[in-house]
Amino acid sequence: MKAEAVRLPEELQAPALTAGLVTSGSLDDQVLKFPAKKPPLAWYVGFAITSSIMTLGLALIGYTIATGIGVWGNTNPVFWAFDIINFVFWVGIGHAGTLISAILFLFRKRWRNAIARFAEAMTIFAVMCAGIFPLIHVGRPWVAFWLFPYPNQRAVWPNFRSPLLWDVFAVSTYFSVSLLFWYLGLLPDIASMRDRATGKIRKAVYSVLCLGWRGANSHWNHFEKAYLLLAGLATGLVLSVHSVVSFDFAVSLVPGWHMTIFPPYFVTGAIFAGFAMVLMVLIVVRETMDMKNLITAYHLDVMSRVILAMSCLMGYAYLMEGFTAWYSMNPFLHSIFKNYFMGAYWWAGWLTLACNVFIPQLFWFKKCRQSYVWMIVIALAVTTGMWFERFVIIVVSLHHDFLPASWHLYKPTLVDYGILLGSFGLFFTMVLLFARVLPVIATTEMKGILPGAQPHVVKSEE
Amino acid sequence: MTGSKTSTGQALWGAAALGLVGVGATYPVAGPARFWANWLLWFLFLLTIGLGSLFIVALEHLVGSRWSVPLRRIPERLSTLLLLAVPMAFVSLGALPVLYPGTRPEAAHDPVLAGKAFWLSAPFVSTRTILCLALWLVGVAVLTGGSLRQDRTRDPGFNVKARRFAPAFLAIFAVTLTLVAFDWISALEPKWYSDIFGVYLFAGTFLAALAATAVSVVFLKGKGRLEGVGPSHLYNLGAYLFAFTVFWSYIAFAQYLLMWYGDMPEEVFWYKERLAGSWLGVALLLGVVHFLIPFFALIPRDAKGDTRRLFRVAVLMLAAHVLDLYWLIFPVLGPPRLSWPELSFALFFISGGLLWVRAAMERGEDMPAGDPFLREGLEFRL
Amino acid sequence: MTEPKNRGMFGVVGLFESADALMAAIPKVREAGLGKVEAYTPYPVHGLDKALGQRRSPLGGMVMVMGVLGALTAFLFQWWISGIDYPIVTGGKAPTSWQAFVPIMFEVTVLFATFTAGLGMLFFLNKLPFFGHPVLHAQAIADITRDRFGLAIEAEGDGFDVEAAVRALEAAGARPIEVIPQPSFSGPMTARYLERSLLGIAIACAVSGYAMYWAVKLFPVLPPTSHMLVQPRLDPQKPSAFFKDGHGMQLPVPGTVARGYLPLGLASQEEAATLVNPLAVSEKVLEEGRQAYMNHCVVCHGPLANGVPTLTSAYGAKPANLQAKQFRDYPDGKIYWTIVMGKNAMPSYAADLSEEDRWAVIHYLRALQRAQNAKPGDLDGVKLEAGSGPGSEGKAP
Repeated sequence: MKAEAVRLPEELQAPALTAGLVTSGSLDDQVLKFPAKKPPLAWYVGFAITSSIMTLGLALIGYTIATGIGVWGNTNPVFWAFDIINFVFWVGIGHAGTLISAILFLFRKRWRNAIARFAEAMTIFAVMCAGIFPLIHVGRPWVAFWLFPYPNQRAVWPNFRSPLLWDVFAVSTYFSVSLLFWYLGLLPDIASMRDRATGKIRKAVYSVLCLGWRGANSHWNHFEKAYLLLAGLATGLVLSVHSVVSFDFAVSLVPGWHMTIFPPYFVTGAIFAGFAMVLMVLIVVRETMDMKNLITAYHLDVMSRVILAMSCLMGYAYLMEGFTAWYSMNPFLHSIFKNYFMGAYWWAGWLTLACNVFIPQLFWFKKCRQSYVWMIVIALAVTTGMWFERFVIIVVSLHHDFLPASWHLYKPTLVDYGILLGSFGLFFTMVLLFARVLPVIATTEMKGILPGAQPHVVKSEE
Repeated sequence: MTGSKTSTGQALWGAAALGLVGVGATYPVAGPARFWANWLLWFLFLLTIGLGSLFIVALEHLVGSRWSVPLRRIPERLSTLLLLAVPMAFVSLGALPVLYPGTRPEAAHDPVLAGKAFWLSAPFVSTRTILCLALWLVGVAVLTGGSLRQDRTRDPGFNVKARRFAPAFLAIFAVTLTLVAFDWISALEPKWYSDIFGVYLFAGTFLAALAATAVSVVFLKGKGRLEGVGPSHLYNLGAYLFAFTVFWSYIAFAQYLLMWYGDMPEEVFWYKERLAGSWLGVALLLGVVHFLIPFFALIPRDAKGDTRRLFRVAVLMLAAHVLDLYWLIFPVLGPPRLSWPELSFALFFISGGLLWVRAAMERGEDMPAGDPFLREGLEFRL
Repeated sequence: MTEPKNRGMFGVVGLFESADALMAAIPKVREAGLGKVEAYTPYPVHGLDKALGQRRSPLGGMVMVMGVLGALTAFLFQWWISGIDYPIVTGGKAPTSWQAFVPIMFEVTVLFATFTAGLGMLFFLNKLPFFGHPVLHAQAIADITRDRFGLAIEAEGDGFDVEAAVRALEAAGARPIEVIPQPSFSGPMTARYLERSLLGIAIACAVSGYAMYWAVKLFPVLPPTSHMLVQPRLDPQKPSAFFKDGHGMQLPVPGTVARGYLPLGLASQEEAATLVNPLAVSEKVLEEGRQAYMNHCVVCHGPLANGVPTLTSAYGAKPANLQAKQFRDYPDGKIYWTIVMGKNAMPSYAADLSEEDRWAVIHYLRALQRAQNAKPGDLDGVKLEAGSGPGSEGKAP
């Protein structure tokens, strides 16, 4: 068999997952040094900018809570607007992390190991951003705990038939599970940091954080099983969370919302948007933290391909929505779809279509998958497009409701814009902090896939 | 060995002949509607297995999966069912005036159907179907035919070609399968609409093709063929089967939940028909055999690589796919029917399909010997 | 009894350069049978479980059980709440509609299962956190968490032969080799200490929660949920702090005129006699009058205005018989005055009847009087007044 080794065309050759010589030791030296090092000036500048934006957002949230949500542009009939758009947008961004860490883990895509940690962290930060919006959207966030079913003297229970309550369960479960998943992956890395740390306080902190992890094989045995199970469960969870978010719309009777394709379509869109965000951030990490040998051009290429695939799926979903709207011969559906592309907000509809379906098609070209400029342009387009997709779904569907007398054009206020901006500030502040405090690459997982890391398998199988 | 082989063959031919008698009698005795409903069910059953198998092949080429290379010949062979589906599709066009209200002239005067009467009209449906058939045949020729040729040529260039062709085929697949779902199933009740329906049929299609692959693999392994395919490969097959059982349930439940919750008369009537009277029992049975049993049977880690259990679950999945199609199609005829026409159709098409697949299983080598990744695939361990 | 020098020994650990070397060494070391053999590696190495003879992780079963438990918990909880304890119908769905419970059921299943997998693995199976493990205090750990593969022979019972263990590891190719003593310290670094502190925290939480409950109850300085309790309002039997006189409501400023109820501006009934009914008689006006009469007047004056009321005279009132000659001759203005000001036991109806209604009632009353006191000659007049006469004229005897 071996004699007839065929020369493979370049396209088929297995790509190297690391560039240059990477060993377990060099990996630790490269990745784990950051938490012990003083950040460069650029980091401080970036942090100052993002945290000021975050502070602005927080101040406006404080203003909203103190004054009431009348300071937003939401009004009859558009009662859901920026608040819910931003919520769906951020939850969507948060889906790429779990996809990369869980689904690709199950598919044994080893390229995921280099980017999983960052993607998972971004999931957590994105879900934090997302969680803010429903909280302030309820108007009286200090009684938001009423959403939880606990026995109370009012003798009332929440309504379990409400998809908004499903949301509470789905998003809080998602956050807890993502955090747990992230933490489990971090545990052995923190143990490495503990054993590298020289400072007494650092050592103590890392010791507590890694719970005294010592790398015993009996522990790895359970650990791997737990990781596999968590990956499997998180896969189901990631599908369910955005499906539940889509139920917020789809169980209603609003034309343009009541669509059976919403659950898988929302999940696809979430992964799509999340991948774009991860791609952008990884490019920055790769350049500024000098990770070119670990996050290779192949990683960026494959992520671009995933974005392309998701874009095609989005195209399919849009096609099905449009087709079914026509096929239903339902005048309300006809009217709302006309509105998407020819109504007062026609530009939002076309922008969505262009950014989500047409522009990512550029990834068919190898050139675009290899150039930072194109990748960032396309990823930005996707992020914009996905935000506007939710705008189209929410605002455009609502602004022409069943009662023509109440038709109304929605105009966001400065507070709306400020809080949206502030959520980006929060997200990037957290990202910057994370990049400096914890290992940005899952070193333990990377060690396991380095060449020669695993013993040669015995041929026969029991 | 050969003796038992021919005797199995004879038994299958005999069963097919017996079934054919019943099939032939159905049209004059039980009426054309019943005949066409049965015909449609088995047409779609064989078509979806063939199409789903081709999808598996294309997917493997696209994502560059290695572990499945030793198994790829099985879905490639199963995809030849599409050749069988071509004549069946032409015959199925006869069902249009009988089962599909949208093709009748009254449709032009119905307030809901009038706008889309041209879409539902027999000439347009036929055109679309023929177009789909042509595209599928191209897929079979490129992916399956090319792979069989590679057995001789050992040219890795085929892998490059297939990798480039795969995305095109997947796009074709997405559109054509959706057309199948809308034209052949959804159009039985032309006023009903659900934009997830294409995905619903896809879930069933993929699952059925996976199950057919798993059954064939286990069967061939039992015959001592497919040497080198071990528990790791079977485990992966089982894992896919498990994952897509959950996916099917997710899609099926999502569609049901949304329609149930919305309770809009123009769409919920479809479920009311399918959950009324004895159909409720069929729906519950579908939930049990399409979700509960395979789900719990495949949960344990060992179960996924266990040949016996995998075989049983895969056979059950195929049966569940038939039941799914039955539940989708037959309610237009009224209460559930299961009598000699259904049984003879089943007998005829199962034995006929098996004969076809049996012959297909002899086509080319058991594994894509010319594929440069075969060795890597054989070395795959969990 | 063996020598006491080995009593405090944890074991011996040797380091290997690669996973392959570790794999090759394990069977040799295990054969020696000197103690429990355990590997310490920087990342999970495939196949070590089998080589070390370790059992498969029971985590799958635990997760399965907890997942099913989560599903049942969530489903039954929702069923009981929505169907039994607090049944509400929303969207026309039955209180026990199972379909709506599925999403939360799924989420809770995943929550239970993942927490069992993650925390069960850490705390229950791996018995972490444990900061006092000897390996953690060995030199080797820094290499183990970095890029070396440790193989340890750990003492089981008292008869641990350190030299033999070192030799066995050496023979297997380990380098360097480290003898690890049992750490001499105890206290904060042991798992038992942590368990105790966790228990302590739990007790402290319970105690402080209970204390908080009573503190809030006894010293309600900060009522926990006071959303609408505290607001400006008048409590019954309490003076108002808002107005000086302590009343919750104030009389209107003198000279205030209610909208639509202009004051009469006349001193006496005699003066009022000069008023003229401003409404022209029409069917509409009479209908309005009838409505007002039926609403306000009929209970005392009776449907025929003859002072025989609908209610019995149980209240001792003697309503005027408006059919009497005296009242038939009354000018409209005087009746108007009576309606506005009241007379004898009759209260003012100014607040109940608008200006227009009062005059309409008077028209209607006139019609009643005329109907009850009809003369044959009236019929001649009918012809003259045709088109504007009230329907009651036809009833004339």
